[in-house]
Amino acid sequence: MAWYLIAILFLISLWGIIAERNLVRKVIALTFANTAVTILYVYYASLSGDTAPILTEGGTPVDPIPHALMLTAIVVGVCVVALALVLVYQLYQRFGTLDMTEIERRVWHGDEDT
Amino acid sequence: MRKTDILDVVARKLSPYMFLFGVYLVSFGDSSPGGGFQGGVVIASGIILLAMARGPARAEELFPSGRLSMVETTAFIALLLTGTAGIVFSGAFLAGFLGGSGVRFVFLLNMLIGLKVAAGVSLICLTIFREE
Amino acid sequence: MGRVAEVAAILLVALFLVLAVSGPHPEESASGRVVVERGLEDTGAVNLVTAIYLGYRAYDTLGETIVLLMAVSGVMLLVKR
Repeated sequence: MAWYLIAILFLISLWGIIAERNLVRKVIALTFANTAVTILYVYYASLSGDTAPILTEGGTPVDPIPHALMLTAIVVGVCVVALALVLVYQLYQRFGTLDMTEIERRVWHGDEDT
Repeated sequence: MRKTDILDVVARKLSPYMFLFGVYLVSFGDSSPGGGFQGGVVIASGIILLAMARGPARAEELFPSGRLSMVETTAFIALLLTGTAGIVFSGAFLAGFLGGSGVRFVFLLNMLIGLKVAAGVSLICLTIFREE
Repeated sequence: MGRVAEVAAILLVALFLVLAVSGPHPEESASGRVVVERGLEDTGAVNLVTAIYLGYRAYDTLGETIVLLMAVSGVMLLVKR
């Protein structure tokens, strides 16, 4: 059941990336996609044991490898979002709008201010 | 972003505890949940809260971006030198060479990574924030 | 036309995800068991996640710090223009 919820979260964020017109909302949907993949990996790791992967707690530790993978994934996601926001800011400074269809129209059909 | 008084007072009272919690997460990274990345991001959020609450003019005096950049690159070069010292003393890149069991080496790496991540993330946010 | 293409793309990804998730899920991992059993004596860290990203996989941590350095350089270059 949790697998389908994670898939639905990822599909909603993918819909946000594709179909949203505001550029900042696209970047927010990108962070949702990162979160969905992180939850997927951590949930899959939690199925293989009882307690957290620290040896001072008793019981069977879960598999710690997906946790370490997701640390790197989160930091790389932060870097991607930072660069994407800077690019959105450059687009806003040049075109004056945050609407994707308006920017496309101006670049492809309208006047080009260099 | 204008400077308001409520945010200023709250940030000045709250940010030392955020720094303390971040340093705790970094230094106890090898025996409790935490580590270099987690503690570094908490320290960076303390820096960002303090800089955003004091206004854009004062944030430049508190955390000059040249100094943050110097801290970040120094931590990165120290990380590379620690790895090379692993080749010299112990045979492999980033192999432990300080203690018998390796806890001291893990602690040193955690400190360097925490410093680098704190300086890096706060430098990203402060550079975007200062662009007025 | 654009809206039809978007919906078709989402449905295609949804089909693939549902097929991937409904399969059998193996719940054991050999390398995970190796790390749990020998992580403390190999690295000296009680926290097993620290033992992985600073002991067994320290190269990935170095690469990640390089990625952070590149991101900071890119942001500072693009903003200060």
